[in-house]
Amino acid sequence: MSDMPPAPTSADGPEPSVPVSDTATNSATNPATDTVTDSSTGQGSEQGTGRYLYAVCRRLPPGALQGVHGLSGEPLELVEHGDLVAVVSTVPLASFGEDALRRNLEDLSWLESVVRGHDDVVQAVAAHGPVAPMRLATICFDDDAVRARLRQWAVDLGYVLDRVTGSAEWSVKLLELAPQAEALEEAEAPASGAEYLRRRKAAVEQRAASSASAADVADDIHATLACRAKASRQLPPQDPRLSGLSGTMVLNAAYLVPDVDAAEFTAALDELRGRYPSLLIDARGPWPPYSFAMLGQP
Amino acid sequence: MTTLSARSEVVAGGPGEVPAGSSDRRPTRNLAPVALVDLLDRLLGAGVFVAGDVVISLAGVDLVEVRLHLLVSSVRAEMAETRRPVP
Repeated sequence: MSDMPPAPTSADGPEPSVPVSDTATNSATNPATDTVTDSSTGQGSEQGTGRYLYAVCRRLPPGALQGVHGLSGEPLELVEHGDLVAVVSTVPLASFGEDALRRNLEDLSWLESVVRGHDDVVQAVAAHGPVAPMRLATICFDDDAVRARLRQWAVDLGYVLDRVTGSAEWSVKLLELAPQAEALEEAEAPASGAEYLRRRKAAVEQRAASSASAADVADDIHATLACRAKASRQLPPQDPRLSGLSGTMVLNAAYLVPDVDAAEFTAALDELRGRYPSLLIDARGPWPPYSFAMLGQP
Repeated sequence: MTTLSARSEVVAGGPGEVPAGSSDRRPTRNLAPVALVDLLDRLLGAGVFVAGDVVISLAGVDLVEVRLHLLVSSVRAEMAETRRPVP
């Protein structure tokens, strides 16, 4: 915070206007944006505009982002420093300032529209070459602040862009399908108490073995895929109500796969599916390298 | 089931996805759409890119993660209300 520019100044872009696209429908209607905030920070940060950073890349062919808009339908603009190019657009601080963000991040439809708008831009940039996607709601006061960040991060950004060049992210989730034992157990009444106990014991053992083996299998699959990737990361398992996937998620991983090895990677996935028919292997990609663009990541 | 990803599938097929492959003369790569829940994983979760001082007075990662937890809670509550039995 300490080295932040002292006050928001009018950015190079156009003044904030009524959103013209449906990518941020809430900014006009969300009551939060109409509220005058208490400026406990003393900076009046809820007024004026900021520059929203979507991604950093090295260069873009002319017209590469033609037809793609920023949040609220604002035009995308490029801020350059050295060989680094930041893709930005103007956002109203009434929606993206500190207090407004606190409220808006909890508004699911607002969040979805911003996440989608952010991804649209990142995807468009990624279609033309290596990209370092920024985290959601990375906002600078003005272009000078953007350039200052590019200067500050130049070495790390260069490293990130080098690493992701020619590669894309693949997501692989492993889902353990619900065991059948209990269904069987309930399907036929046990003939005797001993039969009942034997079944219980078998079911308990099977569940224990199954969960242990699911973890082992997840490790095996992750190792198999990781050695075909330049880098890998494990993310927390997703709640089935968010993912829409049923079963127990035993692995939620991301792999940075060179484009030239993508066929080999998907072939390995097919082979794994054949080897482990009881697991659902949900693979998606290629994606922009969202999981592999962190600064300072080894 | 009404889920984030179910909704995002709809969005993913919409006009918002056009930029990735369509626009112009030299799209060099074809990338696939990302489900909303996966974007949230990456844009708000562990996959954060930089610590917070760029974000205007947004207290960086911690705040966002706290907000995400609130979000997930609210999503769960919403799902509980609207969820239909899984076929």
